[in-house]
Amino acid sequence: MAGSAEKSLPDWRPIALNCVSNYSFLYGAAHPHEYVERALTLGYQAIAITDECSVAGVVRAYVAQKDVAASLQLLIGSFFQVEQLGVLIVLARNRQGYGQLCRLISRGRERCKKGSYQVSADDFLSGLDDCLLLWRPLNDLAFSAYHQALGEAFPQRLWLAFSRHFCVDDASQYRRYNNYHQQSRLPVVAADEVLYPEPGRQPLHDVVTAIRLRQRVTEVRTQLRPNAEHYLRDAAQLQRSYPQDWLAATRQIAQQCSFQLSELSYEYPAELVPEGLTATAYLRQLAYAGAKERFPNGLRSDVQAKLEKELALIAELRYEYFFLTIHDIVQFAQQRDILYQGRGSAANSVVCYCLQITAVNPDQIDVLFERFISKERDEPPDIDVDFEHQRREEVIQYIYQKYGRKRAALAATVIRYRLRSAFRDVGKVLGFSEQELAHYLRQIDRRDQDTPWQQQLVQLQSGLATTERGRWLVSLTEQLLKFPRHLSQHVGGFVIAAGELADLVPVEHASMADRTVIQWDKDDLETLKLIKVDVLALGMLSALQKMLQLVRKHYQRPLDLAGIPTEDAKVYAMLQRADSVGVFQIESRAQMSMLPRLRPATFYDLVVQIAIVRPGPIQGDMVHPYLRRRAGEEAVTYPSEAVRQVTERTLGVPIFQEQVIKLAMVAAGFSGGEADQLRRAMANWRSTGELQQFETKLISGMRERGYSLDFAQRIYQQICGFGEYGFPESHSASFANLAYASAWFKYHYPAAFYCALLNSLPMGFYSAEQLLQDARRHHLTVLPVDIQTSTWAHQLVAMQNGYAIRLGLRLIKGLAAQHVDALLARRPQQGFASLQELRQLGASPALLQRLAAADALHKVSGHRFQSQWQALAVKAEQLPLFSTIDDTGSDRATLQQLPTPTEVSDIAADYRSLGASTRRHPLALLRERRLLRGVRTATELAGCRHQQVVCVVGLVTCRQRPGTAGGVTFITLEDETGMVNVVVWQATARAQRELYLTAQLLKVYGKVEIHGDVIHVIAGRLEDGAPLLAELELQANRSRDFH
Amino acid sequence: MSRDKLWWYLALPQLLLDEQLSLQSEIQRQQPQVLCRSDGQRARTVVQANTAARHAGVKLGMAEVTASTLVPELQQRTYDEQREEQVLQRLAQWLHQDIAQIALYPPQGLLLEVDDLQRLYGDYAGVQRQLARRLARVAVGYQIAAGYSPLVARILAQVPQLSFEPMRAAKSELLEKLRQVPLRFALLPAAQQQQLENVGIQCLGDLLQLPVGELGARFGRAMVAYVAELQGELLPPQRYYRPPLKFSERLDLMTEVASWQQLLFPLRRLLQQLEAFLQSRQLSVVRFTLLAHHRDQSQTPVRIAFALPLWRQREMQQLVQLQLERQQLATPALELSLRADAFQAREVTATSWLPAQQDATAQRAEQQQLQALLGKLQARLGTAAVQQAQAQNDWRPEAAQQWQTDLQTAKAPSQGLPRPLWLLPEPEAIAVHEWQLQWGPERIQTGWWDGEGVLRDYFIAVDALDRQGWIFRSHEEWYLHGWFS
Repeated sequence: MAGSAEKSLPDWRPIALNCVSNYSFLYGAAHPHEYVERALTLGYQAIAITDECSVAGVVRAYVAQKDVAASLQLLIGSFFQVEQLGVLIVLARNRQGYGQLCRLISRGRERCKKGSYQVSADDFLSGLDDCLLLWRPLNDLAFSAYHQALGEAFPQRLWLAFSRHFCVDDASQYRRYNNYHQQSRLPVVAADEVLYPEPGRQPLHDVVTAIRLRQRVTEVRTQLRPNAEHYLRDAAQLQRSYPQDWLAATRQIAQQCSFQLSELSYEYPAELVPEGLTATAYLRQLAYAGAKERFPNGLRSDVQAKLEKELALIAELRYEYFFLTIHDIVQFAQQRDILYQGRGSAANSVVCYCLQITAVNPDQIDVLFERFISKERDEPPDIDVDFEHQRREEVIQYIYQKYGRKRAALAATVIRYRLRSAFRDVGKVLGFSEQELAHYLRQIDRRDQDTPWQQQLVQLQSGLATTERGRWLVSLTEQLLKFPRHLSQHVGGFVIAAGELADLVPVEHASMADRTVIQWDKDDLETLKLIKVDVLALGMLSALQKMLQLVRKHYQRPLDLAGIPTEDAKVYAMLQRADSVGVFQIESRAQMSMLPRLRPATFYDLVVQIAIVRPGPIQGDMVHPYLRRRAGEEAVTYPSEAVRQVTERTLGVPIFQEQVIKLAMVAAGFSGGEADQLRRAMANWRSTGELQQFETKLISGMRERGYSLDFAQRIYQQICGFGEYGFPESHSASFANLAYASAWFKYHYPAAFYCALLNSLPMGFYSAEQLLQDARRHHLTVLPVDIQTSTWAHQLVAMQNGYAIRLGLRLIKGLAAQHVDALLARRPQQGFASLQELRQLGASPALLQRLAAADALHKVSGHRFQSQWQALAVKAEQLPLFSTIDDTGSDRATLQQLPTPTEVSDIAADYRSLGASTRRHPLALLRERRLLRGVRTATELAGCRHQQVVCVVGLVTCRQRPGTAGGVTFITLEDETGMVNVVVWQATARAQRELYLTAQLLKVYGKVEIHGDVIHVIAGRLEDGAPLLAELELQANRSRDFH
Repeated sequence: MSRDKLWWYLALPQLLLDEQLSLQSEIQRQQPQVLCRSDGQRARTVVQANTAARHAGVKLGMAEVTASTLVPELQQRTYDEQREEQVLQRLAQWLHQDIAQIALYPPQGLLLEVDDLQRLYGDYAGVQRQLARRLARVAVGYQIAAGYSPLVARILAQVPQLSFEPMRAAKSELLEKLRQVPLRFALLPAAQQQQLENVGIQCLGDLLQLPVGELGARFGRAMVAYVAELQGELLPPQRYYRPPLKFSERLDLMTEVASWQQLLFPLRRLLQQLEAFLQSRQLSVVRFTLLAHHRDQSQTPVRIAFALPLWRQREMQQLVQLQLERQQLATPALELSLRADAFQAREVTATSWLPAQQDATAQRAEQQQLQALLGKLQARLGTAAVQQAQAQNDWRPEAAQQWQTDLQTAKAPSQGLPRPLWLLPEPEAIAVHEWQLQWGPERIQTGWWDGEGVLRDYFIAVDALDRQGWIFRSHEEWYLHGWFS
């Protein structure tokens, strides 16, 4: 059969029936769309994407193929390695067949843990009536054992799949297949096993194979394919390789497959609509009922018009069930008193507001329903709902319960190779040591966006480029980047189906127990216009819930989130002073330094405040113009009327994502479709880099329309900055709601505010210790942990002048809630009398030791050393009933030998055990001992002259080197009076790198800079505070290092 | 204790790094370098650092990330406890020349019993001078301290400021020093140290003040023993170091002998001694060194190697004889010695390259014969002349077959590919028109990773003489690569 070119088939175009993409992880070496592109070039009639027990990659192929569907047919299938049988390739003939394939994949995946599958011959003998089967029999035995059964299960639908890749056994295989054909009359089809589009990919394929086998390339040489023949071959090559009728069979197969992914349509759960009503009518009914509550004074006519418009559009696009589903979920949350809030573009919708999904009053911001749903865009709306982070699981369980596990699953997230992982994996299989690779990787500064990493490497490690292996490392890493590595689960995106989900898309196990995940990610769902419901977790909602509960309980004020008085000037005044530790979204260092400059005085100012401290506006250099205009230092002008319309509410400076997109339309002449492409590119430009293509069009478009080059470039920069991090207005407004609510509590009910935050940790920006320091600076009393009065949670206790916070035992490291709760449930009215009693009531020796270490036993058995000494004597095996009074007697005798801890050692022990202390701030001790002469406190800085030379000392609580700040490091120092913001310029940082990286207590000599209420110290010289600490013998390890 | 015993402890905090530095050039040594270790989940931290790294601000316990941000040119390697222990073994062997009683405290310490030595060296100062000389030769950094119990010496040797002279201090003086030692140097388990700190114990003095009974009730017997050892009331027995196995025997020849042949007879004696040595330890040997010692010149070594491990004098004699036939003795020898230090445990080595057949005993007998033959062949022809074909895992034919002299570790031959029996050492260019293609092509395109990548289409073809050959095309040129018959 050596290359016998027979007469060619009339107008035959090649068909590839077994293309394996990189969604067969570490098996195929091509992105699905690359097959489509290559097949188009080569004039293929059809290709089948057949990944291993998966259809995870087919949507990506479909995206590339759908616009050229007339020239190239896309077949959907999957291949399976079946024990004793060989390889089976299943192709979907029609919609039913596709559903059967999905169920088969789900079954195979269900039997195994995440990432693997198991199928046997039985799985193929029934239930695949609308599928075609191609078979590569394992051996003669497999063939004779199964050809009959498979032939009966797939009448006229079974082919023997022969492939020829110029291997040593080509001839014997050819004879084998001929024999099979003769024995069984089963047709043979030419089915290249395609692993990459072009021969040049062979090294990459070898490398991923080695990665899969977890060995070096040189160790797996014969497990690699012997040549580079597994690519998409052209017609001539195929004709030379296969007999004509085997090639002709490919056409018969393609003709039988008519299924297209566009046929998939989502059917919503039907049970949400009461009998006798249509979904449209029911939604309308709910919306108007809700409107009555939301607008007790009656619906304004313009709002009603909006409502009607939305309802009409929803009906037209048939999204009623989607809204009803989410309404149902938030109803559940309401019943359970779980706080939630819709965000994202849903906040643009009056319907969502009336259905209580969102809390942004359309009166407060200029809602843009088109951003949420538009007919032109024709894509499903995006509704994200945040729930209290500690109670989201209840919501998830509700969904599973209501719809069943067969109908609800999480969307997938595709984990892809990034520079580090690709470089390491490629390097390892090429035989580099871990240490070498780590060394090379350290040379790469990913913040440096001007120099590509390859160039950085070559510049710093010129040796690498001079070896063959080094060059392969760089080039194969490049190729492997962005390859999918495995499927993970989306944070909270649920897909809920009317029938079985597995009919729509295969479902597999997630790594988290009891979670299932579909094989498509959110982009795939968007492409197919399938809808997901995002059930997300937000810590601040937990905290707000707790604040509400505390205020209701201790202040007898019935209050809910919506009932918080709006536009309270005192609250804004507090924020203008940058007094925002703990306040949602505006508590970060960068937000804090913006607050006194922007001076928010209304809700809308908060919306802007939240959106402006983001990479988008900062990179686009929009911050200063906005601040100048707001302060009246610069005239508010607009380059054109069109721009005025878009940017008027932000003083002519585009701040929000949608403004930028609108500008691209009105100022650069983008069409609606182009603007939409731009929006999508922004969403994932870091991973695809597709934004650059818009640069020329945007800038020239704006130049043509008379805008300055500078303005155009800034808009483009802003688009780039928005990429990952830009906020749309509605999103910012949702967040502003929570920011205002938390600020309101901070001002009016500070005790409840801090107590609730502490009980919701971990969340937000600050540690318990930092929150407690802030609480005490606000003159709140914080009482230490005490086994006689503390509960697990922190609580409010009434004092003469208001409420104090009694720290809860949850602060003690290493304690389990259930042990503590069980013990406290048995706490006698008058408190525990002795350690013996604690032991008798169930406290384990380990628990007692931890309590003693935290000084929580001081009322039972004396100071922490004494308590610990006693606790250590309590033995696990000792039967509490028989413990004698002698013990306590002898303890008392030895107790006299244990000295009382000094204040310093108490503080140190507090930090060790609790991570915080209610005793004095270490800096106060230093000051008291006159170790800080000539040092200013944080509060004293305000009284300094601008540019005055000062010295400050504080514990380093935060070091940040934001990507946007051009090499500047911000260090926050904390003393007993407050925080000092220190700015370290790169030169200073370099010269004193050791200190700026490692010091826990830092002494800074520098100049004060005062701009309005914003105070910084520009560091000139840093000095290690360790000697001071040594004097106190205090080790404080409380620094948050680089994020 | 009638007589106060005295221990010295050598703490070697940078043993592994020092060893690595000693192998580097002066310039290399000046580069900042560290050894790092990761403890389970935690980030890698610096455990040893050279002077340059310390000057640049690197501290022990610092996260590796911080250290390399601090000193971008920092060289970091992974700390390997096993390797450090090996270095410690070698150091013990080195010191064993002077000091008989050495106990290993791996990975970084040696305990020395020096009482008997002071007689030899006059006084402790003499012992110390000798020790310092030895240690200077191996360029290892150390801290040394004396103690009236091993534990005391160990503790004092770790405390930087407390190392002191002279090495022989009165017990009361040592105890006084000991009381000041902070708890973190106490060599207690971390959990216990923390518990003690939790009751306000900061130094060993605080600990020694507590009633032992109370301590025992809280921390168990080990703590009681610990305190007793601190006070010198308990001296746990030590396991002393024993140097590794070696065979070294020397024979006076009485007269000058001019050739190796004449040495064969006396050699027999040495080999008999070796056989006895091996027999008593159930060992075998694959190589040793014969040394001919001359009157004036330095000795002549001859390295003897066997293809397979042996222990019988007769077999060894035969093979040594063969190997010596090819040797010349330049100057007459006065003495002959034999040194062996690499041994193998005896086991029935199942060699994999013989076909499985017959019953086990017959097979073993045949195997032994074959081994003996191979051994003789190698002895006669030189090691490199007898090689075994070794199948390599590679698609490239020339890389798939390699020859090696180590006859013991042959792996399974390659799978049944249609490959010619006789592969030419180098492919030969041919004129393809003289050949008739029978089957093909088999395309081999691989090997991109080692710079010897190939792209060839192989065919089976017959030449004018009807011989079946394996030919290939590469870059439009044709080559013959092997013959099938």
